[in-house]
Amino acid sequence: MHPIQAVFRKELIDGFRDKRALLTAFLFPALAPILIYGLIYAIIDMSSDAENLEVAVINAESAPALIQYMQEKGVEITTFTGNAEQAVKDKKQAFILEIPGDYQQRLRDFKTTIVPIIHDSSRSDTRISLRRLRDLVREYNGQLSALRLIARGVSPSVIRGVVSGNQDIASEEQRLISLFSMVPLYIMLAAFIAGMGLAVDSTAGERERKSLEPLLVNPVQRLHLIQGKWLAASFYAAIGMLSTLVLSLIVMLNAPLEDLGFIFSISIQQVIMLILATLPLPFLATSLEMLLGIFAKSFKDAQSYIGLVTLLPTLPFLIDTFNPVTTQDWMYATPIFGQYLLMTEVLGAVELSWLAYASSGVSCLLLSVLLCFLTSRLLSREAVITG
Amino acid sequence: MIEIDNISKRFGEIQAIKEVSLQAANGKITGLLGPNGAGKSTALRVLYGLLKPDEGSVKVDGTDVFRQRPEAQRKLGVLPDAHGLYGRLSAREHISYFGRLHGVAENELEQQTDELIRLLDMQSIADRRTEGFSQGERMKVCLARALIHRPGNVVLDEPTNGLDVMTTRKVRELMLELKQRNITILFSSHLMHEVARLCDEIIIITSGKVVAQGTTAEIRSIAGEDNLEDAFVRLSEGDGP
Repeated sequence: MHPIQAVFRKELIDGFRDKRALLTAFLFPALAPILIYGLIYAIIDMSSDAENLEVAVINAESAPALIQYMQEKGVEITTFTGNAEQAVKDKKQAFILEIPGDYQQRLRDFKTTIVPIIHDSSRSDTRISLRRLRDLVREYNGQLSALRLIARGVSPSVIRGVVSGNQDIASEEQRLISLFSMVPLYIMLAAFIAGMGLAVDSTAGERERKSLEPLLVNPVQRLHLIQGKWLAASFYAAIGMLSTLVLSLIVMLNAPLEDLGFIFSISIQQVIMLILATLPLPFLATSLEMLLGIFAKSFKDAQSYIGLVTLLPTLPFLIDTFNPVTTQDWMYATPIFGQYLLMTEVLGAVELSWLAYASSGVSCLLLSVLLCFLTSRLLSREAVITG
Repeated sequence: MIEIDNISKRFGEIQAIKEVSLQAANGKITGLLGPNGAGKSTALRVLYGLLKPDEGSVKVDGTDVFRQRPEAQRKLGVLPDAHGLYGRLSAREHISYFGRLHGVAENELEQQTDELIRLLDMQSIADRRTEGFSQGERMKVCLARALIHRPGNVVLDEPTNGLDVMTTRKVRELMLELKQRNITILFSSHLMHEVARLCDEIIIITSGKVVAQGTTAEIRSIAGEDNLEDAFVRLSEGDGP
């Protein structure tokens, strides 16, 4: 048996028997459905709020035409009396529309009438409803102005110089993926978390339990030891990641997305592409964790800064969210970022060239091999034994 | 056959060993005797290839440990200073893991493992996980995994340290058994009487230097003391001849 195979086999058994590490590794994928369902329901809840718009109005009787217009558009009107600001502050009302007392008078005098909306802009859950209310008031204003112009024999188009049109080029799937940008992030996190226990145990753990010296006495190249350990840790990381991927897809296919006006479907081909795109990730994750693990003298020591490694997969997500960039070819060759891009694009049904897969896979695996080599060099230092 | 030729090793300011030379011959038990911190472990770590000496060389059956580390390590069975085990693996799994790392063929592995388990009298614990093993049981696992590839040379760093009488006796029996098989045995100890009883050849090391070398009788005469313990103390304190 080749030494790499011997080490791989031993670490696989050892890892399988480490119930605590195994639990943390697979708790993460198991939570995926809960997370995704939670996310979908939160979104459905928000958008249905916007559909069944309910508006509290002060002094509604002063503007019957406006109120009727809104009711025709399906808005439910409630009357409000009392301290409007306090009610919004206390979150008793999402927002309040206030009709001024001199509304009718100003209307007759052809003066501009302001109808204040009392709201809290720091609340994100009411944003969609609020925008709809503003749109309704604006539409009503347009109608009113048009009627006034027509009464004077002027065409309403006179005051409509330039109007923006609306042509959304995002495919249905792409809009869906912005909804599900969390899913690729979660899959990447799984790759980093599922193999971590074994990666740390087989490096820092060896030092802590003083089993490293007996191991190094064997006539095996340091690189072979590291490779065996790396493959074993990557095996668990890959299983953890792929089960997260599959579970997420199953949940997305069965979630009530039609309530959101989306149809999500995925072909076998897309699933294979996803697996191909993500499979190099576990190898990179564990090689990075092992490199840090070999520096540490104890398990606890290692965990404190390996925890920071899990921030890495959140980087592409953050960049994509806060500073969206145009995808360029070199981005695929950037480890972690490349995998994130591939995932979002495959899920978004964007056709990709084989070059994108090849460059992201090769660069990611190359980096992992390099990190393993570095780790094996660190293992050759005398300080590993004497320190 | 182990030949250590004039090795020195320094850690920063500390000269751990200086110009240490010794030979351990086939079919003999050679004892490396010295007080704690004398440099025994450092010398042995250089011998089994984990530390690189600043000068000097080490040969195992004629193979240079630093030029051909894996080849030399293949000829060595080592019980190092550290005795760590994998708590989730059984005693038998430890032994076969090290056997595989040594390239022992699968068809011989089981038979050799069984033989060692019998030799070390560990049948009752062989298939238990080593988590919770006693000191003596752990030592047996360490010894068995060091011997699985039938090495011609055995190096044991303080093999009886912290063991009860029963296990200590077992370890001594094992050393005598290995001697019968014409194997080179080099072991370190800080226990005088143990070395005196077992060894054919004694090397006394103190403050990183070899201060005396020879049979029990020779050491006594070098120190000019009738009692070996007195001889050891005298030599260790550096006021020998």
